[in-house]
Amino acid sequence: MSSGLSEMKHSRQVAAAICMRGMRRIKARPVLIVPTIVMPVVLVISFTGAFSSLTRIEGYGTSNIYNWMAPYGALQGAVFAGIGAVGSSADDLEQGFFDRLLLTPGSRFPLLMGTVGYSAFRALIPTTAVFFFSLALGMTVPGGIIGVLSLYIATSFLAVVFCLIGLVILYKMKTQRSLMLMQVIAFGALFISVGQVPQSFMDGWLKIAARYNPITNVLELSRQGFLGDVAWSTTWPGLVALASMSFVAGGLAWRGLKKLAP
Amino acid sequence: MNKNSPNLRLAGVQTLELTQRALQNEFRQWVVILPGLIFPLMMAAVYSSQFGRTLGLPGFPEVRSFLDFILPGSIVQAVSFGATSAGTALALDIEDGFFDRLMASPVSRVPILLGRLGGAAVIAAGKAIILILIFLAFGAQIKAGIGGALIIILTASLLVLAIGGLAQSMAIRTGSQEAVGATFPLIFVTIFMSSAFFPTSLMEGWFRALAENNPITWTVDPIRRLVIQGWSTTDALQALGVPLLISVVTVSLAIRSLQKMLRSS
Repeated sequence: MSSGLSEMKHSRQVAAAICMRGMRRIKARPVLIVPTIVMPVVLVISFTGAFSSLTRIEGYGTSNIYNWMAPYGALQGAVFAGIGAVGSSADDLEQGFFDRLLLTPGSRFPLLMGTVGYSAFRALIPTTAVFFFSLALGMTVPGGIIGVLSLYIATSFLAVVFCLIGLVILYKMKTQRSLMLMQVIAFGALFISVGQVPQSFMDGWLKIAARYNPITNVLELSRQGFLGDVAWSTTWPGLVALASMSFVAGGLAWRGLKKLAP
Repeated sequence: MNKNSPNLRLAGVQTLELTQRALQNEFRQWVVILPGLIFPLMMAAVYSSQFGRTLGLPGFPEVRSFLDFILPGSIVQAVSFGATSAGTALALDIEDGFFDRLMASPVSRVPILLGRLGGAAVIAAGKAIILILIFLAFGAQIKAGIGGALIIILTASLLVLAIGGLAQSMAIRTGSQEAVGATFPLIFVTIFMSSAFFPTSLMEGWFRALAENNPITWTVDPIRRLVIQGWSTTDALQALGVPLLISVVTVSLAIRSLQKMLRSS
């Protein structure tokens, strides 16, 4: 019993150390975090600038393009935070540091949890950047503090999901270049959703794909506080989507890690 | 002239050899090339399905379908994927020591960079051909015909040199694949801040000014006119000239970074 408790404590410490190492790495090499902050902010600028005329079309859902695009930009940033965490793991794999981590006694699980935790913390940075930037440019939050909280929950957990998906691919390909594939999957998943326009604007296959894409539920969870009041009927599908994706991707990543380092 | 000719020929042969090596590396990891094709196709499919209503907005250029409109933007986007990989591959060479071995060999310095870019340019041309064929199969039309298609393919190759030169410069300065890879989203955003996916006539304020003065817009707009209006020599020259000029600047920058690195080591 006590050995089980001490093992759990040790696992927690290892996971926390890996998570902290990631955060320290950002401090040591700020160039790595610059795109994580700049990119979603610039995406918000790009989408609001390029597609501002969409609000002129009836049925768009809001007359303020920032209220529509800012949560989308924040989620994009979170996804890249997740991929960035995978990038650090890829670096460790290629440089041999991962082999040293494997010398850690006990389960491999904390290695996974540490990276995942790092991705969740890393996601707070672009979310905050996008939120304040968009607020300064005219975004409003009719849903109040709960609306903002919904945004943070959605972004942190989506970073976790994409970190886990990225790890599945990394453990298979074992190269930094697998991140390119990851970026495509991430952008793809976000694009085939209600990211830029509501479902009523879509035709044919896209309308069906967006309807069944779990990212649509996550987007609606994150965006609801910026379009009106927060409602449980919009919240729970988003939470279920996040939990399901984490569960599936987590299982596959754990399997991949065990295959890589039995 | 005579004295320099053998050196130039040797540099040419070395560039070709290194281009071949770069191509072999790319094809060995063909799965890494795929995103550069799949992603622009997917975006074109998504945008065609979600922006149909925008064709009726006052100020949108007269165009048969959104697919015709987005063809040039999709090709530029496809090229940008390969362009950064020229930089990450160079960074990998630096990280794993192959670059040092090249430096110790009698290979001229410039072909080391040009070889990688050459490989990326060949792949960019291949991607452009595949994309054009797929777009045509789904009903797009290039009004300028085969001549227009050839200009698009050449522009794609030149554009990869322009972006790749920049990525290589960063690879030499940082020596990190991760840092070079991290610039990809910024290139993606630069494409968004142009006329690649939406007409600048429907943009507003400073963003419109930025998009109108973005070199990507200067490259995309003449290609688009070739696609939706028909052949124009001025448009063809502009489409080729803009990326050519930029690539001269960025490749020179990469060569200077290399020389600086060699001097300091």
